[in-house]
Amino acid sequence: MKILVAVDQNPYSAKTAKVVAELAANTWANVTILGVLPRRSPAGKLAASAEDWNMEHPLPRALLEYQKKFLSHFKKDACPYTQRNFGYQLIEVRKGVWEELYVAKSARKDLKARIRLGNPVNEILAEARQEEVDLIVMGCDHSEGCQWEELGGIPQKVVNAATCSVLVAKEEKEVNKIVCCLDHDLVSQQSLEMINQLVTLHQAKLEIIGLTEGRELKAEVERKMDTILRYYTARGLEPWIEIVELASLDAFISQEAQWGLMALWMGKRSMLEKVFPKAKVSRLIKGSEYSVLILR
Amino acid sequence: MIRALILVDNRLASGIALRYACRLANQTGMDLQTIYIEEAEREVRPPGTGWVKRTWEKGLLVSAGAEISRLIDEEKPTCPTLRKAKMVVGDRQMEILRELDEGSYDLFIEGTLYAFNPSNFQVNLEARLSGGFPCPILMVKNFVELKKAALLLEDTTDLWSLVPSFFKTLEGAHLEFDLLHVKFTKPGRLSFREDEGGVEAADGGEIDERIASARKMLAEAGWSPQGTGVLRGVPVGVADDLQDYSLVVACLPRQTAGKNAMLELLSRVPSAVLVCRQ
Repeated sequence: MKILVAVDQNPYSAKTAKVVAELAANTWANVTILGVLPRRSPAGKLAASAEDWNMEHPLPRALLEYQKKFLSHFKKDACPYTQRNFGYQLIEVRKGVWEELYVAKSARKDLKARIRLGNPVNEILAEARQEEVDLIVMGCDHSEGCQWEELGGIPQKVVNAATCSVLVAKEEKEVNKIVCCLDHDLVSQQSLEMINQLVTLHQAKLEIIGLTEGRELKAEVERKMDTILRYYTARGLEPWIEIVELASLDAFISQEAQWGLMALWMGKRSMLEKVFPKAKVSRLIKGSEYSVLILR
Repeated sequence: MIRALILVDNRLASGIALRYACRLANQTGMDLQTIYIEEAEREVRPPGTGWVKRTWEKGLLVSAGAEISRLIDEEKPTCPTLRKAKMVVGDRQMEILRELDEGSYDLFIEGTLYAFNPSNFQVNLEARLSGGFPCPILMVKNFVELKKAALLLEDTTDLWSLVPSFFKTLEGAHLEFDLLHVKFTKPGRLSFREDEGGVEAADGGEIDERIASARKMLAEAGWSPQGTGVLRGVPVGVADDLQDYSLVVACLPRQTAGKNAMLELLSRVPSAVLVCRQ
C-alpha cells in the first residue's frame, strides 16, 4: 500500500502525520510526505527551483518535524522505516563456510519527504499519479471551513479530481462511529480492508449503508451486503446495517456526518458517483466535523 | 424451554435474524422452529382442490426449498436446537398465526433491516400486533452480540405483560439490562437522561413507584437491573440514547391508534426489539 500525505505548515497537518503513522503501523504502507511550495515566492519573484526559496521557509522545516513525529510513533527496533545498520557481518557463503562481509540493509518500507513547486492541487494529484498511490491523506480544520491557507478548498478539489481514495482527516472529535456508504456490487477488496483498518484504529462502531431506489434492496445488493457482513464479522467486527433510500440520501449524510467518520465508495460506475455530485462532496468535506473518506 | 417460531426466506434480513436467534438460543437453550411461507400472488387462485391443489403448492415450494435448507444447514452445526423449516403456501400473516396457535409457541422472531425511513418496520409490526399474535415478537434488525438490553416502561405500560415477557423470553441469557422509564415530549424539547434519584418532583413520585414495582417483579424472578433511569424527549432523541443497547424491550397496545410514540421509537433503534402486546 502507498500513502501520500499532503501537508502544509498548519497544526492540522501535524495531526494528520500522527493519523497516518497509526494507519501505517497497521498496514506497513510506503509513505510519502509531500509539501507544495507556490512558484511565486513571498517576495513576488517567480521561483525556478527550490533553491530560489530560502530554506528558512516554514514548509521544509515543517516537513522534517512531521517526519520526526511520524517516526516517533514506532518503537525504534520495530520501525520498518528506519535505515538499519551498515557494517561487517559473518554470512554463511556456502555450507560450513562463513565470511565476514560488509552488509548494508535498507529500510523495509519507504518513508519519503518531498517538496514540489507549483499549484498545490495539480502537484498533489501529479505526485499521486506518478507514484501510483492508493490513498491520499490530507488534514484540514473544520472551524476554518476546511481551507488550506488562503488558497481555498484544496482538500475538496483534490478529493473531487483524484482517481485514488482520499481521506480528509479532521481531529476535532473522537471517531466513535464509521458510516460507510458502499456501492456493494463494485466495492473493492482494498476499500473494505481500509475500512477495517480505520475501525480497528479508532475502536469505532461500523455502520454499513445499503442504498436502495425503492423500499427494498435488490437481491444482488443483498447478497453482496451479506458477504460484506460476514467478512467483517469474521474479523471480529460487528457492523450495523442501515437501509437508506436514494431520495433520503442527502438528509441521511448530513445527519450522520455529525456523528462519525463518513466513508463513501465513489469508484467508477458506482451509484454514489451518479447521485452525489462533486458540489455535494465539497459541501460534506467543508461542513463535517469528522473525517471524510472517499473510496475509489 | 422457550419455543420460538422464526420466519425465514432468502432475504438478508431473514439470514441476520436466523443468526441472531441462534446466538440467543445458544445462551438460553431456546428451541427454534423455522417456517417458510410462499405467498402466491393474490390474483392467482389455486387450481382446484385436494391433490391438484397440493401438487400446485409443492411446485411453488420446490425452488425455495433448496435455498432454505442450505440456510438452515449453514447454521445447524452451531445451533443444535434449530429445526428444519416447515414449508407452507398461503397468506403470510394467516399462516404464521395458524402455526403460532397450533404449536403453542412462546415467541415469534422475524428479521427486518434497520432503515433510515422506518415506515416499513412500523407497518409490519402494526400488522403483527393487530393480527393478534398470541406471544411476544422479536424483530431483529442487526446481527450483534447480545450484551445489554434496555427494558422500557411508559406511564401506560402494563407491567404484568412486560416484565414476565422479558424474563421468560430471556431466561438463561445472563443478560445485563437497564430499567428505563420513557417520558415522551413534544418536538422542540431536548431529550436527556436522569440517573436514579434525579427524577423531577412533579411526576417523579409516580415514576419512582412504577420503577420500584417493576424492580420488585424482576427481583422475584431473580433478575436485577444494572441501572435505572428516566429518558425524556421525542422518539428520535430517545432512540439516540438507546444506540448502545443490543436489545430494546417494550410493550405496545394491540391497536396503535394514530401516531404511537413508542412504536416510532422502536422503529428508530438499530438493535433488535422485543415487543409484548398489552
